[in-house]
Amino acid sequence: MSYTLRGRLESRLTAAFLPVLFACAIAIALPAWWPILLVALMIGVGVLLDVSLYDVLDYQPGWYAVPLGLIELGILMAFVRALEIHVSLAAAIGLFAGAWVVSQVLAHAGFPWLSLSYAEDGGELGRAGVAALGFVVVALGACGAIYWAKVPPTVRLAAGVHQGPLVITHSQTLVGTRGAVVRGGIVIRASHVIVRNVSVVGGENGIVVDCGDRGTHHLLLDRVKVVGAQIDGIHVRRSRVTIRDCVVDSPTGFTQGIDISFSADMGMSVIDGCTVTGGREGIVVDSALAMISHNQVTATQMRAINMNEMSMGMIEHNKVAGVLGVGIFCGDQSECMIERNHVSGTRADHPSGDLAQMGYGIESHYKSLAELSGNELVGNARPIGVFAGGEVRHAR
Amino acid sequence: MLQAREPAIAATPARRQVAIVGGGLAGFVAYLTLLHGKVVPGDITIFATEPDPAGAWRRRANAIRQREMRSESDGHCLPRSFPGLAVRAAKQQGLVPLALSICNRYHPTIEEFLAHVDELREHSGWDTRLLLRRVARARPVDGGFALDGHGVFQHVLLATGHPGLAVPAELAGDSRVVHAYDPHEYADTVAIVGAGMAAATEWLNALAAGARVTSVRRHEPDRRPLNVPRDLFSRRGLARYHATDWRERAELLERLLGPSYPPGRMWDEPLEKAAHAGRFRIAGSVDGEEQVICATGFLDAVGHDPLLTALVRDHGLETCRRRLVLDDDSTVPGLTSAERTLAVAGKPAQWAYPAADTLVGMKYAARGFLRRVIACPTR
Repeated sequence: MSYTLRGRLESRLTAAFLPVLFACAIAIALPAWWPILLVALMIGVGVLLDVSLYDVLDYQPGWYAVPLGLIELGILMAFVRALEIHVSLAAAIGLFAGAWVVSQVLAHAGFPWLSLSYAEDGGELGRAGVAALGFVVVALGACGAIYWAKVPPTVRLAAGVHQGPLVITHSQTLVGTRGAVVRGGIVIRASHVIVRNVSVVGGENGIVVDCGDRGTHHLLLDRVKVVGAQIDGIHVRRSRVTIRDCVVDSPTGFTQGIDISFSADMGMSVIDGCTVTGGREGIVVDSALAMISHNQVTATQMRAINMNEMSMGMIEHNKVAGVLGVGIFCGDQSECMIERNHVSGTRADHPSGDLAQMGYGIESHYKSLAELSGNELVGNARPIGVFAGGEVRHAR
Repeated sequence: MLQAREPAIAATPARRQVAIVGGGLAGFVAYLTLLHGKVVPGDITIFATEPDPAGAWRRRANAIRQREMRSESDGHCLPRSFPGLAVRAAKQQGLVPLALSICNRYHPTIEEFLAHVDELREHSGWDTRLLLRRVARARPVDGGFALDGHGVFQHVLLATGHPGLAVPAELAGDSRVVHAYDPHEYADTVAIVGAGMAAATEWLNALAAGARVTSVRRHEPDRRPLNVPRDLFSRRGLARYHATDWRERAELLERLLGPSYPPGRMWDEPLEKAAHAGRFRIAGSVDGEEQVICATGFLDAVGHDPLLTALVRDHGLETCRRRLVLDDDSTVPGLTSAERTLAVAGKPAQWAYPAADTLVGMKYAARGFLRRVIACPTR
């Protein structure tokens, strides 16, 4: 097909009609904004390529749609990452692929069937094309306006010490400027909350996420730092949360770095890229689903990473060093995929008298299943331990 | 066998709506396009010399033993480009024709194309609208055109086809000469004059028949999949083409419509093998070959087609290098107005659309004609 530039744009925008409607429907059903953002980005990337690159093609055979589609997908995913749109890879590819198939069916069959001279007109659709352009612009514009209106407010925490506890009860983005410190903790009791670049000192728990039985979701703790909390550095109950690039430094005693508990029905939480130091346990997941990855845990007194009590999840690419008792623990009927971790220097806790605390790099306890793959266990008192009906499987 | 009947043309009103002069593929495509545009069949009259719209085309394809269409899936007579012949073939052969079509590798066989024409002919009521008469004059009158003694028609499409086979003057009267489009067999030594698609087909035919072949050509052929570059089939290339002045356009047409045939091993390999064996050579003129096959196309309409020649002569229509000068929508300037249309389809319409003698080109003229019929204020 030899498209004119106008034909390319009209065909693309008319073909976007169904994906835009679909994205709106998903956005309402979830509710979430990523489908609309994704479709808007897809259209934007496509239009940009139409104008800047594709228009040099005097003729475009049908099969070109495959490589050009892959280029568009690649650029789209780069934008998704750069703009930090929270969408799973599968969902993004699925939506793109669906829209691509719709556009191909329309370009090869639908438009030529509906418009007598579609190919002859270089893909131009006349009034239908203008109407489609109008619809897409209005639909995306309306969605954008609603999105803008519903975006949670951003609260900036000025540099200096703020006396806590700070209690968040509405959706918002709390951003700390350099040197912003909250003394006495932060309590989050709402969904759709982002806390970014905030340091917390002291408090019973450093950051608490707990909204009671109704639970919370869409929470992001990004680059937070918690020092000196008396119990938990980050304490999460009945919530789905993403904790990213945090620093938690716990004092000696019955303290824990990060504890996500009783959230098995809330979906998968993520702890990624955190540095956790000290405390009795570093990262604890109890009756919850979690991805624990790329964290560094050191100097804990009992277990560095603990996935416990019918939890399920992935523990991967973590670095555990110089801890007492157990490096990575999978306990109480949990199912843990433990892959590509580096555990070193785990020491035995002889004074405890607990045989399960004798310096195991990885331990499976009480009917739990630990699936191991690619872990590096170096200089631990004992590499792997299995207790009370626990099971370890080595993946091929 | 379908029999053409006299269409039931009412005695009144005296002025009938639409006439198609020519019952070949261009006329057939125009008729189907008009039906698609909801023009009432009773308002259409077709003047033809034979009932089969593919009759002439079939004879020529048989003469050169053509097996496949040069055109791709779009090369069909339906008004819409989709579903094309690849979809039709897919119903019997599965997804392969569709996959080939997406890669521009699907070429329907002659049998498939002709079966498709026969189906459309039967289902469209073509034969009921036919008037088996030759029209020699189209005379502009108030609100239309008088076609010989057959009445006045408001909108007329001239799809008169090729006026005859072209043979180079220096070979006229030579007893060895046969035109490629006339039925023929092959002698032991054959000179094939021309270098287009028909000539290329004849090279392979003659070689397959065991002949020694001399390709006589003045110009080296272009190797391209279709008659003209692909962008000239759509507005993308046509916008540039239509923006040219007369001189530029005439030169462009000379270049575009020079000899060409598709690239590909199916053409090259047999020729290379034959050349290696001394059975195929290229020469600038005919020598002592037993048989001379002229694959030299058709006579120009202006000067040879009685109807078009009379129009040009009687109404001072513009021509440029033997080509009729037309408006971009294939209508005849000066004789077409808001109330009436005189349009041209097929090879004589190349001034408006370089690939006018292809099925896609015939549709271009037909769609332009339909737009004018629909826009007519009396409808």
